[in-house]
Amino acid sequence: MPPSSKRTAYKTRAAPVRIFGALDAGEQAGRLPVAFGAGAAFDRADLAQRVSALAAALADAGSGRWLLYTESSYAAAVSLLALARARGTAILAPNRQPETLRRLGAGVTGALLDAEIPCDAVRRLVPLAPRGGKATRDAGMELDRDAPLVELHSSGTTGARKGTVKTLRHLEDEISAHEAIFGALLPGDARIFATVPHQHIYGLLFRLLWPLASGRPFSTENLLHPQELLPRMAESPASALVSTPAHLRRVAAGTGLSSVRATCRAVFSSGSPLDAETAKRVAEQLGFAPHEILGSTETGGVAVRQRSAHGESWLPFPHVEIERSGPDGRLVVTSPCASEGESLGDGRRRYSMGDRIECSADGSFLLLGRADRIVKIGGKRLSLPDMERELEVHAWVDQAALVVFEHGSEPRVHGVIVPSAAGRAVLEAQERRTVGAALAERLAGHFDRVLLPRRWRFVNELPRDAQGKLPAAALRALFDDRVRDPIPVRETRTPNCIEQRLEVPDELAYLEGHFAGTPIVPGVVLLRWMRSAAAELLGEAPRVRAIEALKFPSVLRPGQRFDLRVELADDRTRLRFRAADAERTFASGRCLLGPPEDETP
Amino acid sequence: MGTTEALEQELKELIIDALALEDITPGEIDSEAALFVEGLGLDSIDALELAMALEERYEVKIGDDPEMNQRIFASVRNLAAFVEENRV
Repeated sequence: MPPSSKRTAYKTRAAPVRIFGALDAGEQAGRLPVAFGAGAAFDRADLAQRVSALAAALADAGSGRWLLYTESSYAAAVSLLALARARGTAILAPNRQPETLRRLGAGVTGALLDAEIPCDAVRRLVPLAPRGGKATRDAGMELDRDAPLVELHSSGTTGARKGTVKTLRHLEDEISAHEAIFGALLPGDARIFATVPHQHIYGLLFRLLWPLASGRPFSTENLLHPQELLPRMAESPASALVSTPAHLRRVAAGTGLSSVRATCRAVFSSGSPLDAETAKRVAEQLGFAPHEILGSTETGGVAVRQRSAHGESWLPFPHVEIERSGPDGRLVVTSPCASEGESLGDGRRRYSMGDRIECSADGSFLLLGRADRIVKIGGKRLSLPDMERELEVHAWVDQAALVVFEHGSEPRVHGVIVPSAAGRAVLEAQERRTVGAALAERLAGHFDRVLLPRRWRFVNELPRDAQGKLPAAALRALFDDRVRDPIPVRETRTPNCIEQRLEVPDELAYLEGHFAGTPIVPGVVLLRWMRSAAAELLGEAPRVRAIEALKFPSVLRPGQRFDLRVELADDRTRLRFRAADAERTFASGRCLLGPPEDETP
Repeated sequence: MGTTEALEQELKELIIDALALEDITPGEIDSEAALFVEGLGLDSIDALELAMALEERYEVKIGDDPEMNQRIFASVRNLAAFVEENRV
């Protein structure tokens, strides 16, 4: 076997950029802007005072590990600096689902959360709550740059998966590399906008820590709608956008992006591969293509691609060495910012990623696709991306995502399709099975029969997560046959009231064992359906503080139809609901809306 | 229902069940339509799984003779005839 080759491409080493530089708040420096958004602006003097006060509160509580979830990136910045100062560790929750917060909050000293997030944690501090005390100078407090500062967790994992730990050194080395590669593109007053959360590595580094350390103001909010995002970018003297392929596809559609051509200096994309079409649209409107970032929570940043500059080639970060290794030709990364993988004893770790690559003599490389997207079924080999591309050529298909799993003796390919307008028309006229069979027949010209997708789901959009990734588990879940929702028959809506006529499916999952021989819809399921209807009415999940006058007068059985009515009070603090048919009422009650009453300041 | 019709109905249910076919009911399977490639569109992996299910349910042995198997599996009707002749 020929020796694997080690390459580097960016030659310049990075000058260090320090996160705590942001706290240099003398007379003049104090007025420098740190963050903006939601009608507020925060400067360094404010940051220094808040960090000081919060660090004192954390130290008083015993420091240690703190669960961290905030909607505002400024609140997260305050929390992270305060934790570093107090020698604590932030457990970054990937989302604010109660189950996630509960799981990650086990054994923490306390939780740093926005005021309105319900949580059972023993102790709770709201990062931006007003606190007394003047800002103290940073002098004297030695930071331990190698202590664990942040623990990152991926979304959607069940069971105890260890978090990935990053030290202050890891984080500062990363953002120093950012400054070395991209710094020249962005003037010191460039405002950083984002569509990604800071709770994951990409957002944490690109939209929070790098701007914070380099003195560029960052947006405290995620502006997901182009109509909100673009005018604010256009108002800035200079701007940059940290985003994902899914959002860039939306933002670059039409010609809206050209409105920021004069001010936008860089667009970053990460989370999944950026399609060539979107890269082209961005380049047409801005004059440059996005900088795509290849990396992972485990390795940090690995390489950058900008199609308008280097075509399809990826250039490794200055501190990263890459190799092509193994029979698959997988990417192996050696980096001082990697926190998982084989330790080389000098601060660097060597980590094998799931991507297949091809190396070039100049140190750059091409991505050939993920190794786990090549499967074997019935002895035949299939590249799932190849089949997805074939499907996307079909007139009925807008986007295709394939997932492989077993439901017999051999794994089978399953297809998830976002239909085009033509496809939607066909689906209205024909059964899912017929449409799927037609798509499979078209594929039969290119692929062996046993590789053809067996089951299909046609969806309005692919189940991507906040990072823009498409987890296989989310695709698989679409094929979970267990029925949990009622069958919709009719719906009427006014601004304050939603009424749904629904039917209880015979095969409803919740009927199992409830009760043998006499299936009855459990009361909690009716409440769940009521909450879904309320969410439709409110435009977001209802925050239920308490339920009053709850009654289940009659039982509801499979096959029965009923009317579910949810009404919002004029002052929007209460919901009234009733599930009934002409003769009987099955559930009724009132929900009080708002944050939970038991709030510790 | 005559015994052959009842058996054909059973076989249609078995096919749907053993191969986890979606979106299709036994009533929608034509007894004389092709099972493989055309018609129901089954493939070689399905053939193995179906053979296993048949052996388990009816204790019939599906041999290795490709010509004979092509006749047996040509349609539900053919399959029913085979099972009736050979079941224990």
